Amino acid sequence: MPDPLLYLKSMTLAAIISAIVVLVMATVKRPAGTTRLNVACVLALAGGIAVGQFVLTTRVLWPPLNGLDRFLTIVIPAVLGIELFTSFASTAPRVAWFLRLSLATAIPRILLHGSVYLNDQNAWSAWQGIAILVASGLTLIILWVLLNWLSRRSDTDVSIALSLALATHCAGISIMMAGYLKGGAAAFPLAAALLATSLARLASKHGTPALIGIGVVNLFGVVFIGCFFGRLPIAYALPLLLAPLLCWITELPGMRTRTHRSVATIRLILVTIPVIVVLVLVKRDFDRTMRPLLNSASSNPAVAASTSTRPVSPRAAWSFVVLKVQSAYE
Amino acid sequence: MRSCLRVWNLLLLVTAISLGSAAVQGADDYAYDLVHSSVSFKARHLDISWIHGRFNEVEGKFSIDRDDPTKSSFQLTIKADSIDTANKARDEHLRQPDYFDTKQFPTIEFKSTSTKAVAGGYEVTGDFKMHGATKKVTLILKGGKEIEFRGNKIVGFSTELSLKRSDFGFDKTQIGLIGDEALIIIDCEGVRK
Repeated sequence: MPDPLLYLKSMTLAAIISAIVVLVMATVKRPAGTTRLNVACVLALAGGIAVGQFVLTTRVLWPPLNGLDRFLTIVIPAVLGIELFTSFASTAPRVAWFLRLSLATAIPRILLHGSVYLNDQNAWSAWQGIAILVASGLTLIILWVLLNWLSRRSDTDVSIALSLALATHCAGISIMMAGYLKGGAAAFPLAAALLATSLARLASKHGTPALIGIGVVNLFGVVFIGCFFGRLPIAYALPLLLAPLLCWITELPGMRTRTHRSVATIRLILVTIPVIVVLVLVKRDFDRTMRPLLNSASSNPAVAASTSTRPVSPRAAWSFVVLKVQSAYE
Repeated sequence: MRSCLRVWNLLLLVTAISLGSAAVQGADDYAYDLVHSSVSFKARHLDISWIHGRFNEVEGKFSIDRDDPTKSSFQLTIKADSIDTANKARDEHLRQPDYFDTKQFPTIEFKSTSTKAVAGGYEVTGDFKMHGATKKVTLILKGGKEIEFRGNKIVGFSTELSLKRSDFGFDKTQIGLIGDEALIIIDCEGVRK
């Protein structure tokens, strides 16, 4: 059952924890260098995600049984670990990128482990499986490299991380409306932690590539699970995944010379447009597929009573909305 | 005359051995008859009523040894994707990871590990695998009488099984308006191979 209040609580706590960790680590010893700020961001995201998922009562099993379990217990800790390791200045960029690319290549295989896609020839042939795993891995690598490169061109800008948070949040909503409630809800703390960490690190003038890496992997994992285990159509999944790349448009001649603030605003608007279009389309599909259930729910006396023309209290109106959403799923 | 008797005795011996071996073979193998069988279920809704559904794609085989029922075996494989509750939107939702997660756990399986004869049928204990979890369950299969119809030897069984979804790895937080307990009703026919 969808529980909007629980989602809000989970996102708020994830954001608060992340912001506190960054602010404490950035201010405890001034000036905060790039290494310490990166470490702070990784720890802030780890703390925020953990608290957010705990509040959400996301059940995580070990050994992991499904795609979401593998995402939360293998993929996220792996990317946090790699970004923490590479945060230290002594790590050569080549080593850092070798680790990142290795993880990016492995993530699609990890998420699909044990599923019909890899075990049932009727779902995918061996070649089809290899092709999709390679294409997925390449997409993640391209996204990671391009956004990391862009973030290095404008070190202090947080608009890329905010774009990733926005896309992750909207991906979560889309996945929920496509019918996978738990998978969609799990994205909310990820987006909230990324948003809060990005805003909190504005206090410093240093760049934080760790934020981009973790944000990209979070977005990819959420969309991938929603697409292959949920019923998020690929036509909606790809725009959600690739929307942050639109930030590159601000690097066109004539746009680069604008102020940091206007560049950041343009980037966010550019990313918002496709993401909103996807949300509208997903909502349209939701209304179409859930209509029979909603219609049958209206014959429910409890719902029928709440649809009468009598004036209703805000509490009753809220109960009605919750009942409508619940009815759609039961 | 003596050689005729020897041939006769030899023939009797051969007949006795072949009859004996037929009696030892005993077990008859049956294939699940999808057309005349059904695997359905019902689960509580709002704790006041029941929601009914069925699985449309099922495979199975069973081997029945009438002389030594402990040697009998039963196997059933249900395709979780074939769930049908007479509502497409709900079926689609039930296939998703919040419920059956059919992309990760495409089948629900039962494989017997021990069988014994009871009045009116068999008591079958076996491994029931659903949603990535395997539990030992015991079924009372009622029936087992073989009839011949249009040249086919057919046997039929019925059973009901009560399960808790939470015992099979279904998320307890997703157990709300639909109850934890589900009743699975299996009525099947097998055609002797």
